[in-house]
Amino acid sequence: MDIKTIKKEVKKQINSAETLKDLDDIFKKYLGKKGKITQILRSLKDLSEKQKKETGKLANEIKKELESAVKEKKYVFQSADWLASKFQDIFDISVPSKKPLVGHLHPITLVRRKVEEIFQQMGFSVVEGPEVETEWYNFDALNIPKDHPARDAWDTLWLKPESQKLLLRTHTSPVQIRYMEKNQPPLRIIVPGRAFRHEATDASHDVQFYQLEGLMVGKDISVANFKAIAKEFFQRFFNKEIKVRLRPGYFPFTEPSFEIDVQCVICGGKGCSTCKQTGWLELWPGGMVHPNVLKAVGYNPKFWQGFAFGMGLDRLVMMKYKINDIRLFYGGDLRFLQQF
Amino acid sequence: MIFSYNLLQSLFDKKLPKPEKLAEVLTMHSFEVESLARKGGDWLLDIDVTPNRASDCFSHIGIAREIAAILKYKFKTPAFVKTTAGKKDFIKIEVKDKNACPRYTAKVITDVKVGDSPKWIKERLEVCGLQPINNVVDIANYMMLETGQPLHAFDFDKLEGKKIIVRFAKQGEKIITLDNQKFDLNKNILIIADSKQPLAIAGIKGGKKAEIDKNTKTIVLESANFDYKSIRLASRLLNLKTDASWRFEHGLDPNLTEQAINRAASLILEIAKGKVAKGLSDFYPKKVFPKKIKLDLNYVEKLLGVKIPQKEIIKIFQKLDFTPINQCVGAKEILLVEVPTFRLDISIPEDLIEEIGRIYGYEKIKPIMPLSSLIPPKKNENIFWQDFIKNILKELCFTEVYNYSFVSEKDREIFTLKDNLVEIENPMSVEQKYLRPTLLINLLKNIKSNIKNYEEMKLFEIGKKHTKNSGRRIDERAMFSGIIIKKDKKELFYELKGVIDLLLNKLGISDIWYDEHKVSFEDIKLWHLKKCAEIKIKGEKIGFLGEISPNILDALKIKKNVCAFEIDFEKLKELCSEESEYQPIPLFPTAVRDLAVLVPRKVKVVDVLNKINISGGALVRDVDLFDMYEGKELPEDKKNLAFHIIYQAKDRTLSAREIDEVHNRIIKNLEKNPTWEVRK
Repeated sequence: MDIKTIKKEVKKQINSAETLKDLDDIFKKYLGKKGKITQILRSLKDLSEKQKKETGKLANEIKKELESAVKEKKYVFQSADWLASKFQDIFDISVPSKKPLVGHLHPITLVRRKVEEIFQQMGFSVVEGPEVETEWYNFDALNIPKDHPARDAWDTLWLKPESQKLLLRTHTSPVQIRYMEKNQPPLRIIVPGRAFRHEATDASHDVQFYQLEGLMVGKDISVANFKAIAKEFFQRFFNKEIKVRLRPGYFPFTEPSFEIDVQCVICGGKGCSTCKQTGWLELWPGGMVHPNVLKAVGYNPKFWQGFAFGMGLDRLVMMKYKINDIRLFYGGDLRFLQQF
Repeated sequence: MIFSYNLLQSLFDKKLPKPEKLAEVLTMHSFEVESLARKGGDWLLDIDVTPNRASDCFSHIGIAREIAAILKYKFKTPAFVKTTAGKKDFIKIEVKDKNACPRYTAKVITDVKVGDSPKWIKERLEVCGLQPINNVVDIANYMMLETGQPLHAFDFDKLEGKKIIVRFAKQGEKIITLDNQKFDLNKNILIIADSKQPLAIAGIKGGKKAEIDKNTKTIVLESANFDYKSIRLASRLLNLKTDASWRFEHGLDPNLTEQAINRAASLILEIAKGKVAKGLSDFYPKKVFPKKIKLDLNYVEKLLGVKIPQKEIIKIFQKLDFTPINQCVGAKEILLVEVPTFRLDISIPEDLIEEIGRIYGYEKIKPIMPLSSLIPPKKNENIFWQDFIKNILKELCFTEVYNYSFVSEKDREIFTLKDNLVEIENPMSVEQKYLRPTLLINLLKNIKSNIKNYEEMKLFEIGKKHTKNSGRRIDERAMFSGIIIKKDKKELFYELKGVIDLLLNKLGISDIWYDEHKVSFEDIKLWHLKKCAEIKIKGEKIGFLGEISPNILDALKIKKNVCAFEIDFEKLKELCSEESEYQPIPLFPTAVRDLAVLVPRKVKVVDVLNKINISGGALVRDVDLFDMYEGKELPEDKKNLAFHIIYQAKDRTLSAREIDEVHNRIIKNLEKNPTWEVRK
């Protein structure tokens, strides 16, 4: 039989094979000891050199082709048989995953770490201070006069006995004073920590909150520098180009004082419920350190100047995770905490 | 404070920008405009005037002056009656305390016709939240809105002795105010009186006695300056806050009284058809003059970080009614600036720089990164180790909580807290009456509040506790505490002990010892009497580990066992170390033999372990307690301890004979104790 005819025949038979046994039979019929192709290959020696070369090449091709076709088909049949025999029932990959046990850090810890990292990269040291404070550090040294309405802005929790004049710090600003008393300028610090207010609680106010104070003092630290540091911080924190603006504010311990607003990260400045339709978020009160504060720590305001700010870290966390109630932070509800 | 757009407009000839635009401009240069609302034909602007600017900006003139400076508008001076000083008036003023009342100005106006105010006055008062009463009272109030100076009108014919006395009240004196409230006065409260009785609470509220009514013909108009401290004290003592007291307690310019009274007089003449009786009675012993401040223009540039031309600076000052006087001292550019007396907030050059900066516009200041020497930030050991601990506990499947720093009166009872608690003088609620003396109370409450949703919990917190020490001083201390609760209540203690071992090892601490609880250790009766231990490092006590006392759990209605620890972070951080060295991987195989020993129940596992280790010597690499059993099948008062003993040598593979030899030695040594029995 002509070898080309054999090739066609073989292909046809493989295609129509239905079982493994069919395949075995085909294999035997052509490639077995007495198989048609085997015989052709054996008879090559009787042919002329030219014919030997042509026929031999063709026969080997068919052999390879046949072998791989059989192998392929066999795999298909085997898998089907295997599935049919071993798994009567179905394997369902849509079954919900088993949850591995993991721990969770508080969202304030997560955001605090990120903020600390950004400031440390800009050369700020992270320092801390006590939560129980004296009137001097919390108010007097910060140029907040006694018996003045300015002090009303800080509703204070006082400790017993009243005669000791001890209080729970109403902001992290006392740490500015404590740090400057012990260190010489130039300096750059941030101060994360708890602060307390005698204040009725609601979704955005709590008796206790987490603040982040910042202070940079040098020979010529200016408003322009403050603006640059603020912009850099927010861009790194929110991972995008962000507009900041300064507008006038009032704090006894800074002069001039500002509110630093950040273009709303939710709506991009178009106006939404988070920014109360203004397009801006009031995030960062601060200003240039008041000369009286520098004097209180023994610096000469003729030689040193700088900026200070105090922002609500809770507010930043709320913004980042779109949390709408500050009380969730200290409520200890695991359904909240285990989301982080 | 609420401002009327129409009233502001009345102070300019030129048309003001639309309310939205005006609000934006004020927000960017002066004060935040918190809201804007339409009311009738007017707009009301709620402007958050900062307390330092109360002296000039709790008034429409003040805000108008800001607008004039920002928009470079010309600002119109309203009509007023000129003072004809020097002439004697028919009212006598007597001020008893010139510190409490630095100035008292009064004018008598005759032939007034009391009646309704014109519509425009009524509307503007209502926009600003004031109730119209009659034309005289309304004009006084309108002047307060316009100028910021509170005014008061008395019915001259109701005064006894035709005399006004400013004095502190006598103990026992009483007053009935215009709104029929009765107040008991005392010597801390400044009053306006006639020769017999109080007429008004100075700077706060008028009295019924000399009230203006429809029959009033002659009025005494008062425009006075009171010391902010006296008014603030009186307002607090009487628990009475008014539009007037609010302005006085922030401090006002004594020079304002005259301006306001003259302006009011002109309106009364016009509207109530009165006649001004002669001149002005004025008690003003210590005149206040404008301050002068030297301003170094180089410093302006250095502080703001932008160069503003001198011409522009001068223009800004002029628009704000400051008087700049050019003056060259040496090579420096120095500007001498005279500050108007109504700007009580300005006293140093930095105050002037703020005026320049905000009117010039902070938005024009370009951000510039500071030039600074490279000083690497200092490492904060506290935060470093706290973060380290937090990470390990997170790996061990703990959830971090932040609790309130407070505990309640009820907690004090449940936990029988001692009197070393720090008490809050003015707590927000009974829930927050004391500072927490331990973090564990609130952690237990976390367990209680979450138990309906979670059967198993592992929580921790790092935070501060506060107690009073023996010298009554407050001890503030950072602690870190953890708590666990599980379905399977067995082994809870040992599991948490394992957590602490691992944690301390990771902190580079190996010399850990758990000591038996001494009852007197803690004041707080928090712990289970038996299942608890002191945690010691190198012999120093650093914390406590144990099950929570069943009494406490009962009181909190927690039905499962709870185990907790609390470690003094301040002590711990001194012992932590980042040093750590790798242990070579053993080259030769291990062999494990098991050993079970029956010992009296009171014998401690550590004693058996020690015996095994000592007897086994160098070839025993590890001993692992894998079972501890006490029960029915065993003799009474006995427990069975089962160990895997792991044998290994550093330099060779151990032969079976060698291992047997050591193992038998261990058994022999254990059995030296007649009450211990190795089970074969």
